[in-house]
Amino acid sequence: MKKIVVLASVFQLIFFSLLAQNSNIPPVDKSPMDMAYYPVNYPVLKIQDKLTEPLAARVIYSRPQKAGRTIFGSLVKYGEVWRLGANEATEIEFFKSVKIGGKKINKGRYTLYALVNENTWTIIVNKETDTWGSFKYDKAKDVVRKEVTVEKTDMSIESLSMLFEKATGGYNLIVAWDNVKVALPIIF
Amino acid sequence: MKTILLVLFASVLAVSCNNGNDNSTITDKNKDDTVTIRPDNSINPFDPTDISPMDMSYYPVDYPQMKMSKATTELPKARVIYSRPHLGGRRLFQNLLNYNEPWRLGANEATEIDFYKGVTIQNKKIKAGRYILYCIPEKENWTIVLNNNIDSWGLHPDASQDIARFQIPVTTTTSSLEFFTMYFKEKNNVTELVMAWDYLEARLPISF
Repeated sequence: MKKIVVLASVFQLIFFSLLAQNSNIPPVDKSPMDMAYYPVNYPVLKIQDKLTEPLAARVIYSRPQKAGRTIFGSLVKYGEVWRLGANEATEIEFFKSVKIGGKKINKGRYTLYALVNENTWTIIVNKETDTWGSFKYDKAKDVVRKEVTVEKTDMSIESLSMLFEKATGGYNLIVAWDNVKVALPIIF
Repeated sequence: MKTILLVLFASVLAVSCNNGNDNSTITDKNKDDTVTIRPDNSINPFDPTDISPMDMSYYPVDYPQMKMSKATTELPKARVIYSRPHLGGRRLFQNLLNYNEPWRLGANEATEIDFYKGVTIQNKKIKAGRYILYCIPEKENWTIVLNNNIDSWGLHPDASQDIARFQIPVTTTTSSLEFFTMYFKEKNNVTELVMAWDYLEARLPISF
């Protein structure tokens, strides 16, 4: 019975997403959006009155799934600018100015891209916000490019993941997917 | 195709029957309010995707796509970022929400509306900036509240941080929406923020 109910729910979901596609009501995305803060878990700490550091950064990105595919060097081609997400362009907001790759970045919103290679990625911080994918990527609007080293992970990561972690003098933006991860150092 | 339609029909029917017979298993109405802290020390630090996925809607509608196709040169005017709980066999006011109790209008991180420039809602001027949104639902009307407690989680209604409250009528729709849905809609030169879930829909007119 349980199985039938689960199956039925799945069909119902499909049914409703079909319905939704017939109008301008937005269906649920295949690559769902997510956000991450620094300080880590800022919204939860805020409501628990446990904040020890001021709000520093937030990243908003959509999470494509591996779904059995080879990601790097295949789905994401080496040497090409990749949107580092899905759907709406990946956005990072700094709530106070920071330094990346020795360059001062004013507080504000930026779009993130990555130029992916086998052993290194170049993370690109770009001024053109509120855009979609990397289809209109314009190098002239780059604010900074920073090369980072690719690390292999022990486990396979199904969904593209971004999170911040505390680091000396600032914090790192960790990007991980499939069997690799990189860390972008962000200095206060 | 006929078979698929039959299966769909049967599944919808099965779910509706299930609603009728099996409400006892799905009345955990506080479930969506649970604060889930992301595990810092779990074996895999990379989170699975959320059960209530986040989404974002812009005004002008589909602004990022329009910008990509060079169909617009103007700046965006607003966007809403919210997480989308789904009914999962439950009914909104039978299982999930209570009248007169504040509702977070989303899930997980507090629902955020960002006005890129000042707007007017029900003759009240609202400055550009980020706000959180929540709702106090009643049977006939929803009160939509703009509040300053941004970058927070769930809903801890602190009326001292309320910016404005707007009462709008709630209407019933002909089809049910499984996932809570927010989007901007332009109709006869009026822009509305549509909030819809289950068989209910409320629209907040906004003048830009």
